[in-house]
Amino acid sequence: MSASIEIAGVSKVYDGGVRAVDAVAMDIRQGEFFSLLGPSGCGKTTTLRMIAGFETPSAGAIRVDGADITHVPAHKRDMGMVFQNYALFPHRTVAENVAFGLRMRGLDKATIATKVKAALAMVELSGLEDRRPAQLSGGQQQRVALARAIVIAPRVLLCDEPLGALDKKLRQQMQFELKQLQKKLGLTLVFVTHDQEEALAMSDRIAVMNGGRVEQVGTPTEIYNQPTTRFVADFIGDTNIFRGERAAAGQSLDVGKGLILALPTEAQGTGVLSVALRPEKIRLIPRADAATPAGTSAHGIVENTNFLGGAVLYRITLEGGHRVLVQQPNAGTSRLFVPGNGVTLQWTPADLVVLKD
Amino acid sequence: MQTSASHSPSLPAAPQAASVRMPGPIRHYGRYLYLAINIAIIIFLLAPIAIVVVFALNPTPFIQFPPVGVSLRWFEKFFASRDFMHALGFSLEVAVLTTLSATVLGASAALALARGNLPGTRLIVATMLSPLMLPAILTGLALFQTYVLLDVGRPTWGLVAGHTLVTLPYVVRTTLAVLHNFDTRLEEAAQNLGASPVRTFFEVTLPLIKPGVLAGAIFAFIVSFDQFPVSLFLVSPGNETLPVTLFNYLKFDLDGTIGAASVVSIVLAFVVVIGLDRTVGLRSYVKL
Repeated sequence: MSASIEIAGVSKVYDGGVRAVDAVAMDIRQGEFFSLLGPSGCGKTTTLRMIAGFETPSAGAIRVDGADITHVPAHKRDMGMVFQNYALFPHRTVAENVAFGLRMRGLDKATIATKVKAALAMVELSGLEDRRPAQLSGGQQQRVALARAIVIAPRVLLCDEPLGALDKKLRQQMQFELKQLQKKLGLTLVFVTHDQEEALAMSDRIAVMNGGRVEQVGTPTEIYNQPTTRFVADFIGDTNIFRGERAAAGQSLDVGKGLILALPTEAQGTGVLSVALRPEKIRLIPRADAATPAGTSAHGIVENTNFLGGAVLYRITLEGGHRVLVQQPNAGTSRLFVPGNGVTLQWTPADLVVLKD
Repeated sequence: MQTSASHSPSLPAAPQAASVRMPGPIRHYGRYLYLAINIAIIIFLLAPIAIVVVFALNPTPFIQFPPVGVSLRWFEKFFASRDFMHALGFSLEVAVLTTLSATVLGASAALALARGNLPGTRLIVATMLSPLMLPAILTGLALFQTYVLLDVGRPTWGLVAGHTLVTLPYVVRTTLAVLHNFDTRLEEAAQNLGASPVRTFFEVTLPLIKPGVLAGAIFAFIVSFDQFPVSLFLVSPGNETLPVTLFNYLKFDLDGTIGAASVVSIVLAFVVVIGLDRTVGLRSYVKL
């Protein structure tokens, strides 16, 4: 059955003092699609390798269903893993690759044959049993790797950037299939990726990592709508980040160059603060002649536009000199602006998110 | 990835290739020259063997050109000789034992060097490969003196040890070469699927490094079977390897028997290489 994983204050320090992972703590729930997201070198892969048992933590403990497995060797952990570039055994056929884990578990030939057949059918590779990995396409190799990992009914499925080598179309299809399979089998799945769109699209929850630490753990909506740190706001999607001084007990932030931002009522903290405002939360209208309410609007000029199909991304220079990204849906009713147009930007204080530095 | 290949056929690929070609006649001369040089090299390599074969089949008891006929009398003499037969058997025995010990030791050493994170790896590799750089006659002399000092006499295992010393570098070299390109994630995948480290070695590591180990083993066999300088010091009278027996024979007689013995050696080496290839399989693993 699927298991929960508890990572308790785990660090990994390599010879020479490099701290790859620094006091990481997170709870991965049973049956959850959990992503470790971050730029390369953020410690996400090292964390995954410690869960798999390929690396030993320098400090802390890893528990599966409450049992400490920190020092259990990899081959006794009962976890499936899909490797980056798949790591299929080149000297074995597709069927032999999938059968490997079952054979190690000492199952009899008939059972193995049945399970291999079912697993290959599940990933739609029936008929390719006798091929060698080198004779398969990238997408097919990916499926073999997945079948090989799930056929042993692992307690946890670990995926290390499994879709990284596929082209975009195939990648989206595999994202969808993997997610479906995970739900169908009720797998606890730990998914390492540097692709924020992939993480947002697939995960139940995401841990955003940076410099060996966890910046934030949350659902995709929480991560996107309420980033808690500057790094998360910046890493996930496009965003506008402003930094300014908040007067004691004031409800607004002076970010300089004549721009004042009204803060949401529940905003905490005084002194120097950073706030994030997503491009699509800003409304864009033709420049209004009337005076605009300070704190929730500003005038600017369109510098350039980036047509995305379903939406348009505008780069706008405000009167004071701030440069702001604004995204508008390409709806039939809204007018499209061209560079040089004068525009007025409007937003609501509730869409501003206060960040920790 | 392979999938991307499906997009490429529509690309026009020919023009660039055609534009750099030389005009017709020059291209042809270049090609003939290339062929001629290659043929010359092959002749140069094979001529000595051809001379030996001609010598072995020529009925006259001295080297003569052109040969006056074809006869198997030297082969008859070689196979009828108890000395030669004994030496041939002993050479094969030593070569087989040497191959086994050099392969096991060399492959293990290469694995330890490639994976073990040992201090001074480069120094150890250099030491292990040093018998290749020393004249074998020095190695033989040094071993001879060592055995005398240790007062162990000249046992067969002493000869096998000497041969192992000079054949080890081949196995270490070829095994290190395949380990250099080995993707260790394959071993992790095996362990992740429940294979213990020992099981992982036999299920994944060994099958994948086999081409290199086997190539080393073949070198070990041939080098041991042909070995003369080291053997010269370490064989005991009455228990000599074929090259030493041939050398002793040459001191007194020069007839076609030498040629016949050489032809038999060549054929035997060939049989061993082909046999190993067929049974253990050199070509069955594509990824090298």
